[in-house]
Amino acid sequence: MSKERHKHILSFSITSLLRRKGKNLSIFLIYTLMVFLLGSVVFFVSAIKREAATTLKGAPDIVVQQIRAGRHDLIPTEYMEKVRTIRGVTKVIPRVWGYYFDGPTQSNYTIIGMDGESYEAFRDRIPFLSPEEAPIGNGKVLIGKGIARSRGLKRGGHFYLLRSDGGLKTFEVSGIFSGRSSLLTHDLIVMSEKDVRELFLIPARYSIDLAVYVRNKEEIETIARKIGEVLPGTRAVIKEQITKSYETVFGWRSGLVFTALLGTVLAFAILSWDKATGLSADERKEIGILKALGWRIEDILEMKFWEGLTISLTAFLAGIILAYIHIFFFGSYLVAPAIKGWSVLYPPFNLNPYMDAGEVFMVFFITVVPYTVATLIPVWRSSTIDPDEVIRGI
Amino acid sequence: MGRLKHLLAVYGILSLLLAGMVLHAILSTHAAKSVLEERERLVSMLGLTDLCLTTEARYTRHPSQADYFTPFQDNPMSLELFPSGGAMAPPSFKEIPRKMVVKDE
Amino acid sequence: MIELKDVTKVYYKGTPKEVKAVDGISLEIAKGEMVVLKGPSGSGKTTLLTLIGCLSRPTRGRVLVAGKDTSRLQEPFLTFHRRMHVGFVFQQYHLIPDISVYENILLPLYPLDMTSQEMEERVEDALRKLRIKGKEAYRAKDLSGGEQQRVAIARALVTDPEIILADEPTANLDTHLSRDFLKIMDGLKEEGKTIVIASHDPLVYEHKGVDRVIEMRDGRLVGCS
Ligand SMILES: Nc1ncnc2c1ncn2[C@@H]1O[C@H](COP(=O)(O)OP(=O)(O)OP(=O)(O)O)[C@@H](O)[C@H]1O
Ligand SMILES: [Mg+2]
Repeated sequence: MSKERHKHILSFSITSLLRRKGKNLSIFLIYTLMVFLLGSVVFFVSAIKREAATTLKGAPDIVVQQIRAGRHDLIPTEYMEKVRTIRGVTKVIPRVWGYYFDGPTQSNYTIIGMDGESYEAFRDRIPFLSPEEAPIGNGKVLIGKGIARSRGLKRGGHFYLLRSDGGLKTFEVSGIFSGRSSLLTHDLIVMSEKDVRELFLIPARYSIDLAVYVRNKEEIETIARKIGEVLPGTRAVIKEQITKSYETVFGWRSGLVFTALLGTVLAFAILSWDKATGLSADERKEIGILKALGWRIEDILEMKFWEGLTISLTAFLAGIILAYIHIFFFGSYLVAPAIKGWSVLYPPFNLNPYMDAGEVFMVFFITVVPYTVATLIPVWRSSTIDPDEVIRGI
Repeated sequence: MGRLKHLLAVYGILSLLLAGMVLHAILSTHAAKSVLEERERLVSMLGLTDLCLTTEARYTRHPSQADYFTPFQDNPMSLELFPSGGAMAPPSFKEIPRKMVVKDE
Repeated sequence: MIELKDVTKVYYKGTPKEVKAVDGISLEIAKGEMVVLKGPSGSGKTTLLTLIGCLSRPTRGRVLVAGKDTSRLQEPFLTFHRRMHVGFVFQQYHLIPDISVYENILLPLYPLDMTSQEMEERVEDALRKLRIKGKEAYRAKDLSGGEQQRVAIARALVTDPEIILADEPTANLDTHLSRDFLKIMDGLKEEGKTIVIASHDPLVYEHKGVDRVIEMRDGRLVGCS
């Protein structure tokens, strides 16, 4: 019975919306843009978090860094013996790696040293590598796609890096990581440990840090604490922090999220304020006329509710779909620059599509609900006045 | 009533797109599984720690390896210089065992 | 049907602009009666009609419509009353300018919970009665004054109310259309509707179907015939 009424009122509210095409269209566009921005950030962030959480499962359980005068410093390789004696530790690998700033291309490379033996052990099983068996050592290196592209390098090609003492060191590309692993390997050069030491002049008895692997994952924290005890002056970063740091890095405190959120909330506040502070004289008069014709307050509220919901729901759906397309089909064109910053080796942002229902719902909640409510307040206020006065415009 | 049909049509299209989006997300999550597994293997073979999201500064290239002070280490008075450093928050090391341990002699 | 007891309506009460638009009027209108309110501009005709039509509430006194004391009713009941009993033709029409004539006439039917078909029939009926067929797709603001007035009348009739209140309904109609309007009113009167028309058009108050002409001046009744 009462279904008819709702249908009619909904239909009238569409008529009513179409009447003020210009105004409603601009509200719709602003609204869509808002949802789009917020949705883009949400999609981007949750996709990256997930990428990090799943790919970094294989990361070292603990990384032990030497701290000297508040800074990172070289760690004596012999420390690994002390760590190895801690119960529950299965493997300690002294790592030799670093960053290389390449002047000509103005970009940073990440240089990873592998010890020759362990590399040989799995060299034919390294994923994403072409050719599949690429040797390293004696100047032979594997490079990421980004470096290959920026330097125009192919397999078998040669290039120079500047040694820390100013001399030149020649390298030969023996393999290139495929683009699908770019999120990890884009700026990577993998070479033998010996080559890294030569390049950076790292003394033989020192390493950059120690990668520690633990048998029982439950014990990671305890072991990290023990490392702190046996090696005062070091810092132990546990894997959980590595993955968790992505939560924080892109949590709401991060500038990216904060800016999008702030901008959106501000735009939204303005929009709602405009809505909530008053109706135009025409709109008020119309409410009076409808009341005079026998419309109940709830009929009028229902009509305005449909109006608000139609705009906000359509805008929400459009915005969220556009955001999805933007992030997962167009490489986060608008969001990525904030992360990339001045990076010259532009890391790729073709993230694996991923959608967190809870977060999408949150976007829905903070955009659709307040707007719809905001549209109702002034209507409610003027629909409680006697129609005679509303019509006369008092 | 014609208006109502139009609105419903619009919602129909949008919901279809939304459904397509959800489906796409699910399917590609599925499809990405093997890539993700291989990446995980790569990470463990090379002992990597972070995603390559930005290459401009070492503390944004490897955010998990940096601490609050890393950006200021080169110049104690410097303000945040890199855009990516402004977009990312410093990592949390709340859980790090940083208690001073006094061994009983 | 309608009973006013010592009704007073004061606007801007307590300010220097205070106006006594209606001043202590007592009046009774029987069911099926056709009454004309006559009087110079500003004499309070419109105000009296809005009081009868429950569009506003009296400052003092009581308004009884169909046995209910509307001056004491809560807002939802007033609305209910309006919806069920009253059709109002405004002096300035008060159509919604940018929707179609058809939609305008449809408006009072929305809250009534009818089927679309029933609504259509009613509107078609009203369009026919007021001879505005062919114009239903026009936007209200694109019509002439007389056409707008007829749309306003059609809108008041579409709910088939017991009481019809018309404020200067013939002000923009030519003699021919005015006669038509009166003919419609006669028909409605035959159906047993109560009709109150505010007008100073001789054509209206000299019309033979009118039962009573009430004259107003400065918010008071000054004569009755
Ligand atoms: N809502 C209102 N607020 C303030 N004053 C009002 C209001 N309605 C009417 N008045 C005043 O009350 C007096 C009577 O007005 P009303 O409209 O009832 O006169 P009227 O007899 O209908 O005149 P007209 O023939 O010009 O339509 C006028 O002085 C008018 O200014
Ligand atoms: Mg008047």
